[in-house]
Amino acid sequence: MSSPAAGVAGMAGARGIPPVSVSQTSTLVTRTGSWKYIRPAYHDRVAPCNQGCPVGIDIEGYMNLLREDRIAEARELLLAENPMPAVTGRVCHHPCESACNRRLFDEAVSIHAVERMLGDLELEGPPGVAPAPTRKERVAVAGSGPAGLACAYHLARFGYHVTVFEAADRPGGMLRLGIPEYRLPRAILDRDIERIVAQGVEIHCGTRVGVEPNWQRLLAEFDAVFVASGAHTSHALGVAGENAKGVRPGLEFLGEVNDGGRPDVGRRVVVVGGGNTAMDCARSALRLGATVTVLYRRTREEMPAIAEEVEEAQREGALIRFLVAPVEFRVVAGRVCAVECEWMKLGEPDSSGRRRPVPTGERFTIPADTVLTAIGEAPDLDHLPDDVAREASGVHVDALGESSRAALFAGGDVTDAARTVADALGAGKRAAIGIDRHLRAIMRERLGAEDPDALRFGGGNLSAVRWLGRDPINRVAPVNEVVAFEDLNLNHFAAVPRRFDTHVASARGGFGEVNQGLTDRQAMEEARRCLNCGVCTQCDVCLIFCPDAAITRNGNGAYAIALDYCKGCGVCAAECPRGAIVMTREGL
Amino acid sequence: MKKVIIGNHAVSWGAQLARVEVISAYPITPQTQIVEKLSEMCADGSLAARFIKVESEHSAMAACIGASAAGARTFTATSSHGLVYMHEMLHWAAGGRHPVVMAEVNRALGPGWNIWTDQNDSLSQRDTGWVQLYCETNQEVLDTTIQSFKIAEALDLPVMLVLDAFYLSHTAEPVDIPDQEMVDRFLPPREARFKLDVNDPHAFGALVRPDSYMEMRWLQQQAMREVPGVFDKVEADWMRMFGRHYGAVESYRAEDAELLLVTSGTVTSTARFVVDRRREAGEAIGLVKVKMFRPFPTGPLREALGGVERVAVLDRNISPGHSGIFAEETRAALYDLPPEDRPEIYGYIIGLGGRDVTPSVIDEVIDRTRRSTSAEREDLWVGVSP
Repeated sequence: MSSPAAGVAGMAGARGIPPVSVSQTSTLVTRTGSWKYIRPAYHDRVAPCNQGCPVGIDIEGYMNLLREDRIAEARELLLAENPMPAVTGRVCHHPCESACNRRLFDEAVSIHAVERMLGDLELEGPPGVAPAPTRKERVAVAGSGPAGLACAYHLARFGYHVTVFEAADRPGGMLRLGIPEYRLPRAILDRDIERIVAQGVEIHCGTRVGVEPNWQRLLAEFDAVFVASGAHTSHALGVAGENAKGVRPGLEFLGEVNDGGRPDVGRRVVVVGGGNTAMDCARSALRLGATVTVLYRRTREEMPAIAEEVEEAQREGALIRFLVAPVEFRVVAGRVCAVECEWMKLGEPDSSGRRRPVPTGERFTIPADTVLTAIGEAPDLDHLPDDVAREASGVHVDALGESSRAALFAGGDVTDAARTVADALGAGKRAAIGIDRHLRAIMRERLGAEDPDALRFGGGNLSAVRWLGRDPINRVAPVNEVVAFEDLNLNHFAAVPRRFDTHVASARGGFGEVNQGLTDRQAMEEARRCLNCGVCTQCDVCLIFCPDAAITRNGNGAYAIALDYCKGCGVCAAECPRGAIVMTREGL
Repeated sequence: MKKVIIGNHAVSWGAQLARVEVISAYPITPQTQIVEKLSEMCADGSLAARFIKVESEHSAMAACIGASAAGARTFTATSSHGLVYMHEMLHWAAGGRHPVVMAEVNRALGPGWNIWTDQNDSLSQRDTGWVQLYCETNQEVLDTTIQSFKIAEALDLPVMLVLDAFYLSHTAEPVDIPDQEMVDRFLPPREARFKLDVNDPHAFGALVRPDSYMEMRWLQQQAMREVPGVFDKVEADWMRMFGRHYGAVESYRAEDAELLLVTSGTVTSTARFVVDRRREAGEAIGLVKVKMFRPFPTGPLREALGGVERVAVLDRNISPGHSGIFAEETRAALYDLPPEDRPEIYGYIIGLGGRDVTPSVIDEVIDRTRRSTSAEREDLWVGVSP
């Protein structure tokens, strides 16, 4: 209760009574903070995109920097986690966007397009100077696909001397062999690889680990080995006529086309399978002038291929026939001429959780000049030492990529992991951190973080930035907890339509890049759509709404709460657009 | 610069020229265009004001009070149900002596639901302590908007400028838009005599005991009494700089009149037309336009109406169970004139809920007043068949 009305400076009135009721004493004497039983605190939490990214990229972090036009720093933060942003900006299946909270508000942020813009920006800069290794240990990497290159890149940045052995005559692994040019132009791939080489990574092509160098030599000359030799052996269908001329593994076909070959596939091509390899085969065959039919034994919902790839294949003219499986390849004069098919129906879910296709007995035949099989690939594990433990379909590794044999790590398609570029890049980084920990532990050095889980984005992948303790963003009391859609206050945001990538009109014209991405300006606008879930952006909403004026800027780009006057009303936490303020009980 | 603009935009232009710093409003027909235009001005940078979106008129006025208490030149606009929803906050603005300016577009109250013009919304806020000014033309609307800030800030009283729904709000007229530099000279930035300061916080609107409350009300009333003087000075300045003036009370062809009409709002324009015709026909009829309703211009009205035989007050409003509100106030103002000067006052209820007040309606008022001998002259309804 305040005192009766009395004068403050500048006011006079009847008998010294001013025209308005203003307390004589400062309200600072009333410590309203004593009323509260809950108190607010600022905590930077984890945006769901960061958790959703298999590479382990601080997406929210670089979006935050882009919001302030700090483009070079945003690119640095991206490159600190992902060595190949120009590649992933084109071919990643972007689970970050499926996790994006904004999709529940209007549409997900077009994260992949922003990443691509940042990746391509790098192309214009000069390649960096290779840092001199700061550590004496040497690490060998078997395979120069995304997993191997990511591991080599991060280890080089950690200060190691890294040597990559690649069996093919050029680096890139499945990125070069399996992904067609119209999705990933070779110049883009080469420049991303150049950046990795510029970190001081040595790549020896035409050398197959296990043959030359053999394991004896490898284990003698290197302190740790990362095996990322991929999965290249196509699964056989087990169907009569599979060995006839004109029936070939899709991956082999893609390898030839991606190497510049233009094989004669005839007029009618049948592709068997529903994954990305099947879609790549279908779209490549279309570009060779063929009519393409894809046979998939389940339905659209169970298809493992990236949704956009399926849509584009269909748009380009591929006919996808669902619930159809080949039962025999008809052969005339040693060459395939037709595929005998059987209609399937969906039965009980199998071990993958998808409903199992069940034969119906009804059959039909479609003509075919070429059949491309793409029902999955298995890793070749024969080149590995015998004492390395295997599991269902690959090398067994622990959470940091170490195999049953000490100092031997593995990642990517050679393990049981999800077979995507992003998962491979993430596995490479994880193993790089695992190898660094392993080698530092031998030297009894202090580790960057005792608990690897502290390096994760929520439950997602590890952060190299956190491992190095070099987060360029000033985090406010970070907690490793993902922000849910319900934690946001959407009243502070306006709906803004998502910018969509530009696609060239006719894809059948050739192998030129189909997806042109966004313009730099569009990408910057798209970055501003980021809600920065869980992270304070100094938007001042809390300061404006605090009814006790108890929140002030602390001068460090953050806020201070005068707890003597904060009544614990919770308005700041309720109003915070980003869920970056949490209320906790007093005295706890 | 002359522009053909609707009355709502005349308000927006006026607020822009007055360099308002904070606007908080909630949309309601027929006012919405006022704040739409202002929000566009804020968005395109032509007005450096903070536009606070709110969820209701009650909150709009609360936000205006806060901004005004912090020393900002503050504006809002509303109408009808929006205004009556603000009612509590109108008292807080006036009692707290916050010089908020509000444009109020006269619209009927429901039910029956009605969006057309009628004065009951603003007149029902009579005792909240706001200055009330009723406008007749779009030019007057623009001029009054700017003048209102000067009056409000001179006396720390909130001012409501009132315009008729549709007849002004949505009707375009040529309006002379004053030069910004001249307006800046007329209306310098606000210098608040007392304001909230987060670095020296005091409680505003805090508890006041019976030993002081009455003094504060007395001071409020003193300020209200100063309004006519300030208004005249503001109008004199405006006249000098821009060549236009209106008056708290304006007499039109009132010399030697036997019958004077008392009007407010756009009915005045129609009445001027009828008066001209009657004068041409040799009838001694004039009119008195009341612009200022609070504080009530008792003195000027007594001067304008004293000695006339009959007065007909046109009320686009009704105080149910009593009479038209302008008529009631006019009777009270003239009651203690000497009996020989005191006119017979006839009160007519016209044009409620936006019903058109045509020249023939005013002719009927004049004719009925002239031939009436009855003592019954409390609330004579025009155009209603019993």
